[in-house]
Amino acid sequence: MLDSIKRFFSDKKSGKVARDRMQIVLLHDRLSIEPEIMENIKNEILAVLSKYMEIDHQSISVRVEQGKDYAAIVSNVHVKRVFRQAHTHTTNTG
Amino acid sequence: MPGKTIVITSGKGGVGKTTTVANLGTALAMRGLSVVMIDADIGLRNLDVVMGLENRIVYNVVDVIEGRCRLEQAMIRDRKINSLYLIPAAQTRDKDSVMPEAMKRLCDQLAENFDYVLIDCPAGIEQGFRNAIAGAQKALIVTTPEVSAIRDADRVIGLLEANMLKDIHLIINRVNQKMIKRGDMMSTEDICSLLSIPLIGIIPESEEVVISTNRGVPLVHDRKSQVAAAFKRIAGRLEGENIPIPLDNHEGSLLSKVKKIFGAG
Repeated sequence: MLDSIKRFFSDKKSGKVARDRMQIVLLHDRLSIEPEIMENIKNEILAVLSKYMEIDHQSISVRVEQGKDYAAIVSNVHVKRVFRQAHTHTTNTG
Repeated sequence: MPGKTIVITSGKGGVGKTTTVANLGTALAMRGLSVVMIDADIGLRNLDVVMGLENRIVYNVVDVIEGRCRLEQAMIRDRKINSLYLIPAAQTRDKDSVMPEAMKRLCDQLAENFDYVLIDCPAGIEQGFRNAIAGAQKALIVTTPEVSAIRDADRVIGLLEANMLKDIHLIINRVNQKMIKRGDMMSTEDICSLLSIPLIGIIPESEEVVISTNRGVPLVHDRKSQVAAAFKRIAGRLEGENIPIPLDNHEGSLLSKVKKIFGAG
């Protein structure tokens, strides 16, 4: 009895179920990233990290990890040395 | 100024592409614009029967492209509206008998003489799809409130963007307000937020569509039809008119009752 009442109140309407499922499905579909775009992502990650630390450019890996209800971008890079100050390039407009 | 070339596509079959082309083409032509519809579904010709023009076909789009007839010989004039034409698909050829470049040349040539060139895209994402989108500057995605149609629509949007076709609008077909109201259908807001492209119209689910298809007379000729009104509003929006899109009417709310009285929606 209590169970059926609980189910009555917690049961999501099928329209909501569809929307929630599609959010995950489309996220996963869209993460099938083209190789050229993946290459750009790698290069941009390397560029950002290089401002703060010396890294092994050959070591970078980027992959998409998909779980049941989540998707993640996982990147691994070997760090050789960390700079005390960020090596940012300031442009001189003077 | 050359006319607009628009491809009507969906990924999934059976969501209402051909019905949309027939009704939108007719609605635009009823406004006095010149319109030509190309059935790009080579091998699975259908736009001719939906328009009731199946008995008048002599030449088809492949005949034009391969130079077996002049362009005008393959253009069939509508039975009711003088400024509306159909170029039928070939029925006995396969989708590989046309190349994207040839299709683009044909669309460019037609756009010189017509206000609108509407291209009925085949289902799927193979050669037939690539041909159909090759000559288009703009795309209308047709989807229904079903998971399979929405997933395919999303895939097609990605492919269009990758092909540098970025003027994309969404038509949600077969919307059943009763089911949305009781929570058993994704709302039009949900679908828009999932696909994240601008909406250009919502078509209600209706038995009238089957009946008009049976007769081969596009539904927009029916003055009383809600579906006809929805297609005419899309035609107006394509023409740059600012017609608000009535989202799911939450019946019972005061606002919707007031709106009903004043005939909005």
